[in-house]
Amino acid sequence: MEPERVSAAAGGERPVLELRAVDVAYHGDIRILQGLSMAVRPGCITGVIGPNGAGKSTALRALYGLLKPVAGDVLIDGEVVTGMKPWRFIERGIALVPQSRSLFNELSVEDNLRLACWSFRRDKARVAEALERAYAQFPMLKERRNHAAGAMSGGQQRFLELGRALALQPRALLLDEPTAMIAPKLAAEIYEFIHGLPARGITVLLVDQNVRQCVRIADHVYVLELGRNKVDGSVGDFTKDADLRSLIAEWVDYRIDA
Amino acid sequence: METLVLNGLVNGLIVGGVYALIGLSLTLLYGVLRIVNFAHGEFVIGGSFLAYVLFNSLGIAPLLALPIAAVSFFAAGWLAYYLLIPRLARSDDPENMSFLMMYGLSIALSAVMLLLFEADSRSIDYAFSPISMKVGPIYVSTARLVAFGVTIVISLALSWFLYRTLPGKALRATIMNREAIQIVGVDVEQLSAFAFALATGLAGVTGVLIALVFPAFNAFSGAEYSIIGFIVVVLGGLGNPLGALLAGIIYGLAEQLATVFLPQALAQIVGFAILVGTILVRPTGILGWRAQR
Repeated sequence: MEPERVSAAAGGERPVLELRAVDVAYHGDIRILQGLSMAVRPGCITGVIGPNGAGKSTALRALYGLLKPVAGDVLIDGEVVTGMKPWRFIERGIALVPQSRSLFNELSVEDNLRLACWSFRRDKARVAEALERAYAQFPMLKERRNHAAGAMSGGQQRFLELGRALALQPRALLLDEPTAMIAPKLAAEIYEFIHGLPARGITVLLVDQNVRQCVRIADHVYVLELGRNKVDGSVGDFTKDADLRSLIAEWVDYRIDA
Repeated sequence: METLVLNGLVNGLIVGGVYALIGLSLTLLYGVLRIVNFAHGEFVIGGSFLAYVLFNSLGIAPLLALPIAAVSFFAAGWLAYYLLIPRLARSDDPENMSFLMMYGLSIALSAVMLLLFEADSRSIDYAFSPISMKVGPIYVSTARLVAFGVTIVISLALSWFLYRTLPGKALRATIMNREAIQIVGVDVEQLSAFAFALATGLAGVTGVLIALVFPAFNAFSGAEYSIIGFIVVVLGGLGNPLGALLAGIIYGLAEQLATVFLPQALAQIVGFAILVGTILVRPTGILGWRAQR
């Protein structure tokens, strides 16, 4: 089926991050992504939704250099960076909180934060500043600074991941299912937190299974299906357009109210 | 009998220290790089031959050979990393391919050593004075005691590095979560090259110690140390540095006490009994409750 509306290259401001016609394949010829395009515009929350196995996480991994596309390009600020190693993204002001746990379980909370300061580890003042930033954001982390990261609850671990990413003052934050396996009350807190990021100058790319929350806080939403663009548009388009609403209802089993 | 047991215990600690260093190197390599280094034993024996050449040609004592082996093997490891490992990344299954590559390297290295030093067993004719010392009721060769002291210093230094410094914690963090270390902005290729160089440098040092601890070595001794190293790695838990140190000591004690209590032929199989037993009863190793994979 043809993608019904793909506006990756459209829009006013230059995207912070962009995928252009990206193909990703496993084991040579199993194509997980086919011609996928998406753009993350500055100062917005860009949502990515789609059924299980649609390639949402794969798209994010390709974007962050964890998977190398077999075709197509990854761009930062309009510059082609395809094949750039994952550890270079932090220098470019782009942080990732992946879906699977990204903590070092046996290390303390503080060591987890310190490792994120690796590139400027000899600048003690800057490291201390970054730690303070994370602690100011989530005071709970300061209380547990000497606890092993792996000994904390799932929610606390998620806050550590978020705090660690934000300690480096990124201009863009990529989030993969930030509330998976998190208690509902905490999840609501996390969505409020994400919602507030653009006001602090942080662009967000939110990949989420939770369509309701994603559509609620996102400015622009991409719907993926079988590794391709299905449709995308502003949240306004989705709520106004009856066809789009029914499409969403059909593809991700969720009804968007007008 | 008591003297024999005491002998077994003391010598078990001494050879166990050597096994601990081999296990520590292998567990770091596997943990950080996901590489099964089957050539590690040849790296180690290479260190023994280096000490042999330094002493026989230049008159450099084994203790002075230690820093020379450490530095030259570290540098060689760094080069070898960039020569060998990037090729693995192109494979669909780098972990299994690493096994084959390192096995090939092991054969090649022992062949080179055979060419250079022939098949005879070699030993270093260096004598400490006094030649042996009294430890309680038993005598232990000074060379072995010196080697044990060096082993303890190196183990403490490495433990401090791995558990107390940020680069050491970065190495352990890579073992815990290889994807996450890249996400937080650590150049994992540089870190891996460092780990490979560190393990190779450690192999060189271990080789010098082997020349002090064991009566002789030859071009084919490497495989034996590789196998012991892998048993120690499994016993200590994959990717667990402290576990490897502890397991090395346990293996050394078991091996030496087995020679006291069991017939010579049976003593040989103790190592494999430990390997099989660990896999059956406690596949995550003696410190396995800390493993998270």
